[in-house]
Amino acid sequence: MRPAPPFTLAGIRRGFLMAQPLAPGIIVYALVFGVLAAEAKLSTLEAVLMSAGIYSGSAQIAALQSWSGAAHIAPVVAAIIMMNARYILYGAALRPWMGELSPAQTWPSLFFLGDANWAMSLKEEAAGNDDAGFVLGSGLAMFIPWCLGTLAGHLGGRLIGDPAALGLDFMLVAFCAAMALAMWKGRSDLLPAIVAAAVAIGLGLVLSGGWVIVAAGLASAAVGYALHVDRA
Amino acid sequence: MRSMSIAPEFLGALLAMAAASFFCRAGGFVLMRFVTVTPRLEAGLRAIPIGVMIGIVAPAAISGRVPELLGLGAILGVMTVLRNDVLAALSGVAVVAVARHVLA
Repeated sequence: MRPAPPFTLAGIRRGFLMAQPLAPGIIVYALVFGVLAAEAKLSTLEAVLMSAGIYSGSAQIAALQSWSGAAHIAPVVAAIIMMNARYILYGAALRPWMGELSPAQTWPSLFFLGDANWAMSLKEEAAGNDDAGFVLGSGLAMFIPWCLGTLAGHLGGRLIGDPAALGLDFMLVAFCAAMALAMWKGRSDLLPAIVAAAVAIGLGLVLSGGWVIVAAGLASAAVGYALHVDRA
Repeated sequence: MRSMSIAPEFLGALLAMAAASFFCRAGGFVLMRFVTVTPRLEAGLRAIPIGVMIGIVAPAAISGRVPELLGLGAILGVMTVLRNDVLAALSGVAVVAVARHVLA
């Protein structure tokens, strides 16, 4: 194991500033989540707390879709774990660099970790800038606009009269479709996608939305796992 | 007015949701002490998000009527040309809204 890297205020500040170009895109995405949360009848405070606590757009959108009241939380939790399972890989990739940091440095850095700042941080480290404060700083630079954008989107969303006339009831499906296409990396995704669709449509006849989503994710994982060919 | 209120049962749900999210963020970091992520395991984990998204879209596509199907088509078109997911989704919503007015 390598010795603990530096973790300085200068590193935090550097990460915070370098991640600023990501902020506008995050605000737009957060506005959309705020509108969707208003549609789902969450209060403003509940929507912002959800953004602060879960802090993952795709997981929050999946959670809203699985949501059918606080009493039925199991499928929602399962959907969040599946959407965020990629973070297991992200965390694993950070271990060689950050493994010897103190808990007070490690846990906040992991809490505020997002897709973009994770990739940005690893690029920094590969370039020789190993001040691990960068991870926390760049994470905070994304977290703040995420929460503020949610607040603004929710307040604006409540002013909208008839959501269906504006197509807003379709927004969640629209975002999921666009994200699925954005995640598409090539032919290796085809079979997992087909199986996931078949499972979702088949189970949709007998199960509620939350578990259908969970089953589709697990089916896709199983196919991806089974089809993997080691290029050795 | 329910803007700043919070339902008591929501608090418990929120804690569960936040814990699930942090479990993933911290889980891989902690697990690295005990297991190695093989390429095969990684391939399985990487295939999950797209499956979840399709789990949301596919039932909606099956039960969708003309405006919704046109909307999904618009999303595919914009994604193919511009590779921008936010723009694609908003285009899909706009197409659904217009189609509902025209076809209503």
